[in-house]
Amino acid sequence: MGSQTQLSGDDKTIILVVDRNSHICELESHFLNKAGYVVEFEQSGDSVVEHALKLHPEIIITEILVPGVDGLALCRQLKGDPRTRDIAVLIFSTLAAVVRAKEAGADAFLLKPLAEDALVATVRQVLEARRERLRSTQHEQRS
Amino acid sequence: MSNEASGAGGSEKGVADFSIKRLSTGSVELDEVLQGGIPENSLNIIMGEPGSGKTTLAEAFVFANAGGDRPILYLTTLSEPLDKVIKYLQAFRFFDMEKMGSAVQYEALGDELATKGVGALLPRLKDAIKTLSPKIIVIDSFKAIHDLATSNQEMRLMLHEIAGLLAAYNTTVLLLGEYRHEDIVTFPEFAVVDGIIELARNALGTRDERYIRVFKLRGSSYRPGFHVFDITSDGLQVYPRLVSPVEAASYKRDSSRTPSGVPGLDSMLAGGLSTGSATLLAGATGSGKTTMGIQYILEGLRRGERCLLVNFQENPTQLAHQMEQIGGKLDADMRSRLELFYYSAVELSIDKIVVNIFRALRRSVIRRVVIDALGDLAVAASDPIRMHHYLYALVQHFAVQGVSSLLTLETDLPIMPNDEHDGRLRHMSDNIIFLEMKTTEGIVGRTLRIAKARGIAHDLQPRELKIDDRGLHIVEARR
Repeated sequence: MGSQTQLSGDDKTIILVVDRNSHICELESHFLNKAGYVVEFEQSGDSVVEHALKLHPEIIITEILVPGVDGLALCRQLKGDPRTRDIAVLIFSTLAAVVRAKEAGADAFLLKPLAEDALVATVRQVLEARRERLRSTQHEQRS
Repeated sequence: MSNEASGAGGSEKGVADFSIKRLSTGSVELDEVLQGGIPENSLNIIMGEPGSGKTTLAEAFVFANAGGDRPILYLTTLSEPLDKVIKYLQAFRFFDMEKMGSAVQYEALGDELATKGVGALLPRLKDAIKTLSPKIIVIDSFKAIHDLATSNQEMRLMLHEIAGLLAAYNTTVLLLGEYRHEDIVTFPEFAVVDGIIELARNALGTRDERYIRVFKLRGSSYRPGFHVFDITSDGLQVYPRLVSPVEAASYKRDSSRTPSGVPGLDSMLAGGLSTGSATLLAGATGSGKTTMGIQYILEGLRRGERCLLVNFQENPTQLAHQMEQIGGKLDADMRSRLELFYYSAVELSIDKIVVNIFRALRRSVIRRVVIDALGDLAVAASDPIRMHHYLYALVQHFAVQGVSSLLTLETDLPIMPNDEHDGRLRHMSDNIIFLEMKTTEGIVGRTLRIAKARGIAHDLQPRELKIDDRGLHIVEARR
């Protein structure tokens, strides 16, 4: 069961959630906190880049349908900016837009409604892939 | 990129290719009505008057899906006390003690709602989602919560929040309630739910007929109309309304013949009735319809076929006796290939009869069916149009499956009138045979006349018919 997720070395990992649905935010926060992550929120896509530069989240989970800059445009912005391109992006949406999410450069896509097992597992997988990617980049730079 | 788009085909243009997952209701037949079950992650209302079977349906659904790593939460509110609900639950065969308290968790919300008002529901559901992660939530009764709301506005706001919460989380919800039809347009929950299923009762003479009807099932097709059901120790026993098979237009017709078992008749039909055809056998009382039906079945049994005889007048013992009189003692092999359905004319329901016929067809490869008589089936249908819809669908199913059928009809008229009732019967039958009785100079004589035999050459002349202890035979073909 998702609620039995163990605490791991992820306990300082910051996750920024972009969603205007208060129920989704509350439940995401609950399950991700339980899995050992720190969760911050934004309700619109407009100030996410600015917020991300201050918070240094490892992953941003965004709905596509958010006020202001939509989730896909936000993803393109983040991946196109050298300051934020290493932040992993998980598109978590009501829209079945897996192909568009991929085209926008997202690291993963999840379809709503919220299923805690799938959410936590995907976040872990995306973070692991990101860390691996960063380790190889650092290794290449050193050599 | 990982793709966890469960239920989504990822289609990007126009309508997404969603393949909705279904949860079984615990009833194969109800699942058939719902095209596979209740859609996962949907919000549904089960409505009906007290005693209509709402709780039974919900409980059967709960136990059919209990197990796995997420529990099911059953919340009672202000209708039946929890102890009573659990007491009666144990009488059902689907009840599983092992699952109580773990896979299935019952909780009473009545006191909390009575003390704190309707506002108590939202935090309670949030708490349940956070602590239990329930895959199914049942609220029994949701309508009862209306009585606690101090205003319509309060109820609407609560409902807005509840619907938002339950839509955000991956859980399937049943809201039970003693709603009336007029509530559908006035109660806000009907606008937000994905599915509406009604359980109701219809007075038919001295008995009640229960029926289930799907009003709405967002994102899914379903079988519309009234489906009769019973409540048994297995839960709801549903008899889905019969519809014509989709493959009706594409099946391949068997070109072989099915001998009738009546000496002399097959030579009038250039070898026998077409296999897979429907034959209407019409005649007055005492004209020999039942006897010919028995001969038709006996002929099939002699040829090693499986046969089904549906009868409304004589019980299986009487019928077996009649069969032995005509055809001699049936050996064990013949008896094993014969299915006899007897329905009392008092407790007839056409849906049940039809579903039982289909179950028999599914169980084994039945080649011949006799329904004796259509007049009794008409009583069971309660209205002639419904009867014809059923009969048409039944005959179509028989044709698709290559089952040769003989349907008897009591009529005093020598020629069937072209009215709405008999006209329909005439059109749906491939073959029509009349058994007629005429009095000439004080002597009653019998004749057999073939009025129609679709696709085969046939003798249109009336032929003299005799009935003796071995059944019917055409006089020219006396054995």
